[in-house]
Amino acid sequence: MDDLVVVGHWTAAMLRSSTPLLMVTLGETLTQRVGIINLGVEGQMLGGACTGFAIAAVTGDPLMGFAAGAAAGALLSSLHAFLCLVCGANQIGSGIAVWTLGLGLTSYFGRPFVGDKVRGLAPMGGPDLANVPLLGPILTQLTPTAPAALLLVVLVGVWLYRTSTGLNWRIVGESFEAARAIGLAPRMVQLSGIVAGGLFSGFAGAILSVDYTQTWANDMTKGRGFVAVGLVIVARWNPFFVLPVALIFGLSEAATLRLQAGGVSLSPYLIGCLPYAVCLACVIFASMRESRYGGMPAELASVFGRRSG
Amino acid sequence: MNGRLVPRLLYGIGGAAVFLVLSSVFLLAIGRPPLATLATMAVYAFGDGYSTSESLVKATPILLCALAVILPAHLGLITVGGEGQLYFGALLGTSVVVNFPGGPMVALLPAMLLLGALGGAVWSGIAAVLRTRCNVNETISTLLLNYIAVLLVDYAVYGGWKDAASLGWPATIQFPPAATVPSLFGTRVHLGLIVAVVAAVVLHVAVNFTRWGLGLKVLAGNRKVGAMVGLSFASNTLIVMALGGALAGFAGISETSAIQGRLQSGLSVGYGLTGFLVAWLSGQHFLRAVPIAIMIGGLIAAGDALQLYSKIPSASATILQGLLFAAALGSSGLLGRREERHG
Repeated sequence: MDDLVVVGHWTAAMLRSSTPLLMVTLGETLTQRVGIINLGVEGQMLGGACTGFAIAAVTGDPLMGFAAGAAAGALLSSLHAFLCLVCGANQIGSGIAVWTLGLGLTSYFGRPFVGDKVRGLAPMGGPDLANVPLLGPILTQLTPTAPAALLLVVLVGVWLYRTSTGLNWRIVGESFEAARAIGLAPRMVQLSGIVAGGLFSGFAGAILSVDYTQTWANDMTKGRGFVAVGLVIVARWNPFFVLPVALIFGLSEAATLRLQAGGVSLSPYLIGCLPYAVCLACVIFASMRESRYGGMPAELASVFGRRSG
Repeated sequence: MNGRLVPRLLYGIGGAAVFLVLSSVFLLAIGRPPLATLATMAVYAFGDGYSTSESLVKATPILLCALAVILPAHLGLITVGGEGQLYFGALLGTSVVVNFPGGPMVALLPAMLLLGALGGAVWSGIAAVLRTRCNVNETISTLLLNYIAVLLVDYAVYGGWKDAASLGWPATIQFPPAATVPSLFGTRVHLGLIVAVVAAVVLHVAVNFTRWGLGLKVLAGNRKVGAMVGLSFASNTLIVMALGGALAGFAGISETSAIQGRLQSGLSVGYGLTGFLVAWLSGQHFLRAVPIAIMIGGLIAAGDALQLYSKIPSASATILQGLLFAAALGSSGLLGRREERHG
């Protein structure tokens, strides 16, 4: 009974931490699937977090905040699209430019909101459910964003593998030539892929600020966008695999918070390294196995891929 | 060659014009007269001896971090790890000072600087080894290592190294004069600037006029050909990453010693990221990076001055950097496409 309560609490904490990361990693997966790498997700997440928080604070409606955050992410990602697709700029450089802009704009325009609090979504279950084993902590601590993220994993996965537009996207990511041969416009598909990634990353940022921390602070994403870019590799560009990978990261973040709150004698700054170290370890593991299993879209490999040989 | 000069100039001017338009839009949006504000910024950056020296102070770590990006770029590697290397270099260099605060200058200063450089080299070397041994993309690993290095410095300055006399402020003891990098011309400009400029020249010569540099070019172009003529991608990756990291680590320890006088949280205000921007603006060219780093140093110094005198938050300098980067990437991308078409 007690064990179940503990498991429930950990599951809730893990899902809470994973939700924003799940969203942004799903988005980056879509972007990379059409052969584009976007490091700007870090900036887009910040844009979504700041805009989402501001709108939620002004309107008092967290849903409006989510929508505004997603829109801000999409707007910033369209700069990446413009630089890469129209100007032919280097994708890594362009992503860093988007990050820089996102960082600068949010720390400039976000100043009035530092220290504010917003009301996020209500938990799924009322306090009377708190004593239900396992499900109790999950229902009373989690808001609907967590199940929404889980649902989106399935939707994106099914869409990518089981619909003809999903197939078109995958073809563009593998070969422009093949895509053109069947009458697709690869650049337009790439544009959609980048903006879809922008929507997801902005939404992820808004979940982080409006629903998770309910505050806004400068540079609050703390590299979650870059973590997502790494986790896409770990998930082998497969939306379904994004779920376990994001959960591992969420678990390490939940462990970080619990250790810090639990009065462990270890420095919080040292414990704070854990999520990045876990992400790096996962990327190392995945990269070492990549030569055997493959999975990177071929058009992506030409800009970001393994250049070993 | 000359046929390319005119379009290159035109695209360069076009990029600058786009940046001016974008930054004017931003300044208008925050209710400032664009041209007057930009002119004020130029004055704050290079208007007199004092502001010029402050711009050079900012330019020093930026230039070193830019060199740390440019050198690996000559092997086709894209690292964004300047910030982490700077922090870890500062951390290792400071360990000497914290443990032997009473040491004589002849020993303390060189040991501190060497360990600082070594720290940067190690931090960058991790990414290099991960790249060559485990096939881990260096852009990702360097980005993640940045966050870890910043936390490690926080761990030190909030923890065991915190000076009891600093009233809770997370910082180490004040560096003794024997561990202070000498300043130049009676300003805050320090020896690091000279090291940075000399390093730029030496690296330019080494990469462009030596057999080793030719080897890098061959490996960057075609690794198989390189391997056939006996060049090792793995060892060259380690060399360029470690050398670059050493420069960024030196940036960290010299900034800590000469400018801040102690290791503290938030030691760098994105010098690593700005160095990345400078490297790309220069077209990964060591010598061109020098004036560009000084220009961007001026932009950041002017941002600080604007915050102080005109109450414009210094985040505006970050926004202007982002706009500059976007404009430069756009115009150089378009130029690249044109040159592809016209051969």
